[in-house]
Amino acid sequence: MPNPIFELQNLGKQYPKTETWALKNVDLTIQQGEIFGLLGENGAGKSTLVKQIVGLLKPTTGTVLFQGENISTNPMKVSLNVGYMPQKATSLNHMKVSEAIYYTAHLRGLTRRDARKEVERLLSLWQIENLKDKNNTKLSGGQQRLVRLAVAMAGRLPVLILDEPTNDLDPMRRKLAWDNLRELNQQDGTTIIFITHDALEAEKIIQRVGIMRDGGLIAVGNPKELKKAVDQSLRLDLFFEAGKPPAVPDRLEPVVDQEGHRRYMVDWDEIPQIMAQLNLDEIDDLRLNSASLEDLYLHYTVEPKTAAGEGSQHGA
Amino acid sequence: MELKRQQQPFLIQVWDLFLIELTNWRWTWLYNVVVGTLTPLLSMFAFSIFARDSGPEALQFIWSGNVIIALMFGLQSRLTSHFVYLRLEGMLNYFATLPIKKSALILAIIAAFFLIALPSTLATIFVGAWILGLTISPSPMLLLVVPLCAIPMAGIGALIGSRARNYNDAGATDLIVTFVMLAIGPVLVPPDIIPNFMLFLGRFSPATYAASALRAALNGVITPAFWLDLGMLALISAIIIGIVSRTIDWREA
Repeated sequence: MPNPIFELQNLGKQYPKTETWALKNVDLTIQQGEIFGLLGENGAGKSTLVKQIVGLLKPTTGTVLFQGENISTNPMKVSLNVGYMPQKATSLNHMKVSEAIYYTAHLRGLTRRDARKEVERLLSLWQIENLKDKNNTKLSGGQQRLVRLAVAMAGRLPVLILDEPTNDLDPMRRKLAWDNLRELNQQDGTTIIFITHDALEAEKIIQRVGIMRDGGLIAVGNPKELKKAVDQSLRLDLFFEAGKPPAVPDRLEPVVDQEGHRRYMVDWDEIPQIMAQLNLDEIDDLRLNSASLEDLYLHYTVEPKTAAGEGSQHGA
Repeated sequence: MELKRQQQPFLIQVWDLFLIELTNWRWTWLYNVVVGTLTPLLSMFAFSIFARDSGPEALQFIWSGNVIIALMFGLQSRLTSHFVYLRLEGMLNYFATLPIKKSALILAIIAAFFLIALPSTLATIFVGAWILGLTISPSPMLLLVVPLCAIPMAGIGALIGSRARNYNDAGATDLIVTFVMLAIGPVLVPPDIIPNFMLFLGRFSPATYAASALRAALNGVITPAFWLDLGMLALISAIIIGIVSRTIDWREA
């Protein structure tokens, strides 16, 4: 049975002394226990939206309800239940890593003993035990990001809002981040809302996605359904020696044509014929993929606006 | 499922936030030694060279004025830059998303920075008296006077830091305010050599009352004027802290 945790109603934001709206007419419901991803180009209004959800930014229009209560009248309810990681990996005063996690957990209501256990748990979860006694200001960008993830999770809050959680992380740590978030959702039922540009990797855990453009939420829905609505073609990527493209059926036109790489959009029933015609000696590598979340993201943010399926409706 | 979580009691919040803010000693200690202690002591030494023959009253003013300088550089300036840091580096957002009261944070910051600035203030008081050759007989009231002198300075620093657009603006404003407060009242120099209009303006400056209360407490001379000074310091503290609490809006407009 649906159990809304956040309900955004006609949410809008116009920053003081500006003409344009950073966010306009957003209606969205996020259910308890779901993993919701927000995609969109820079300046699309994603960070503005999450800052309003956590109560850091006053809405110009509309309301944000958390478990049915307006957060403007009861901001403490959000603070008690929502862990937030901002986009900027801000320094945490001059606290050591263990201090930052400990005080955050304790201020979020844990006993001192449990807060100390929380430090050990999160240091281990994010594999940053070696940073325990390091001052936050002395850490690299990636290390600071991991610490901020640990701090956001401190206190085992039921909702986690993360603004670009995998920025600055190397591929191994990015995998760790997505694995940890998936596990957190599956084991504890934590609701996770995050912003990312890392659409390909985020696809592994996203249950529902919202795509933003020019301050508006232009598509919301299950990634699989959205992708179907956008495009059912397959992506055939051919990699070859520069200047020597392989022969393909004449009717195929590359949608990406770079040195040593071409991408063709093909239908399922064309595959056998194309494969039969391809001279494998002419190609270094080939990949065949269905539409990814990244394609969806590009479709809505780069290509002209088109309505598609559930995506044409705001909210869900 | 209704999620219920308990907010920590106010005093626990203050204590945790105080300990968080106390970690700032890791970057301020060197500044406090150099600027908060050496500057007023060197200033006292320089003044003592030509004011030694001006009589004990002039020396008392040099001494109390430089204790105020120690508080201004060690506390007010530090809080100015700290509040700009909190706002511009996103630290205030971190606090704003915690289940804490804004007043707990402000109290904790002021208390922590006061404690960080205390050694340099005490060093200025006692080493300064020795440099100037003053004999002091401190009253127990000093325990009340020093915090009451510090709170308005801290509040002014917090106010500048919470309004300034950037570090440069904050630093410049703080410096101007520091010199204005030192100049307009009988803080560093006796009142008989200050023009009347400046003496009048000095009545609105906490530095005037702080310097006067310090001189009285350190010499053990408790008069009705001393209580008036304390009352004014308490009033100014309450007003400034009230303004700071209203000014710091951690929900951006």
